[in-house]
Amino acid sequence: MGITLLAGDTLQLVNINFPTIIFTLINTLIILLIYKIFLHKPVMKILEERKQKIGEEMKAAEDAQAAAEAMKTEYAEKLRESKEEAAQIVSAAVKRAGERENQIIAEAQQEAADMKKKAEESIELEKKKAINEIKDQISDIVIMASEKVCEKEISKTDNEALINKFIAEVGNE
Amino acid sequence: MMTPELILMAEESAAKTFTVEGPLRSIPLPFLKDIFGEENACISESIVSQWVVMIILAVLFFILGRNLKLKPEGKRQVIAEWIVGFFSGYVEESMGTRYKRSYGPYIGALFCFCILSCLMGLFGLRNPTADISVTGAWAIITFILVLYTKIKTGGFKGYMKSFIEPMPFMLPFNIIGDFANPISQAMRLFGNNLSGIVIGGLIYYALGSFAIAVPAVLSLYFDLFSAVIQSYIFVTLTMSYVIMADADA
Repeated sequence: MGITLLAGDTLQLVNINFPTIIFTLINTLIILLIYKIFLHKPVMKILEERKQKIGEEMKAAEDAQAAAEAMKTEYAEKLRESKEEAAQIVSAAVKRAGERENQIIAEAQQEAADMKKKAEESIELEKKKAINEIKDQISDIVIMASEKVCEKEISKTDNEALINKFIAEVGNE
Repeated sequence: MMTPELILMAEESAAKTFTVEGPLRSIPLPFLKDIFGEENACISESIVSQWVVMIILAVLFFILGRNLKLKPEGKRQVIAEWIVGFFSGYVEESMGTRYKRSYGPYIGALFCFCILSCLMGLFGLRNPTADISVTGAWAIITFILVLYTKIKTGGFKGYMKSFIEPMPFMLPFNIIGDFANPISQAMRLFGNNLSGIVIGGLIYYALGSFAIAVPAVLSLYFDLFSAVIQSYIFVTLTMSYVIMADADA
């Protein structure tokens, strides 16, 4: 049994072979380029893109959140304002209603007063009318009675003057 | 005690002798024989094996790296991202963020090339890494990277000055040290892979016709486990030599 270092058409087991060195350098360079072009660069590109996209999306999300916060405060402000406004409207309406109420009452009172005055006036008128009528009737009665008493007819003008005097006397009593 | 005659008889009676051969001279290149000599003017089996490795890696990288989506679909993209992320992360961890971009692809490519080269034994081809010329070539790359880093970070004057530091009499040791690192790196990978081949061959030889199951289990260690460990050590050493050369680090 022996260990043969060179057998047939083979190189020595420990042998510096320049073509092998040169080809190995070239092959390593080619592998480096293949690795870099086909694997390293695309993966790095995709990782970078993903990083960028995530950054953008996170920024967008933050922006959206900030916008939402702003809107929230804005709406809260608006809500507060509208509540205030509503309260104002209600109080104004109440005030106006109160005013209107007073006005209506005043009008009604005025109207009632007017009506009362008118009624009084008409009553007065009626009264006067009635008194006049009564006066006329009395004068007629008096005439009739006088006719009966005198049994003669005195001239109407004398008569009336006489009667009016009498009535005035009666009226004064 | 065996007499020389007995040893001779034993050798003659053996059905076959155990031999470990170097890589085949797969493609002779006669026109180079004036430059490299009769024996070395060839493309060796190691290079042919490397071509197989390169085809496998090229197809693998191409399939993994194409049609990547922002939202990963399927395991393919996850694997691709894991591979690239692993090597980038490993380089960043070992060498710092400054070297991540420049060394990530080289370390990734070298590791893939190295590990698949170590595993070629499983497919019945010769491990390219069991050839000192192959591991030597990678060590030459490391040496050039170290030299480049030293001059880039410390300047040429600083590089020259580093030879006489901490004391001038250290000059020879510093010079040896510069060459010893890549040589030891090359030898480590070469030795481990060659020993795998030698031990594998010895086991086959020893078991003879009973070579069932046992070689497979041992091959699992010497090819698979050792391949991963040695490739990992090789790229780690490359990175640590470069970062040690960085005067700024």
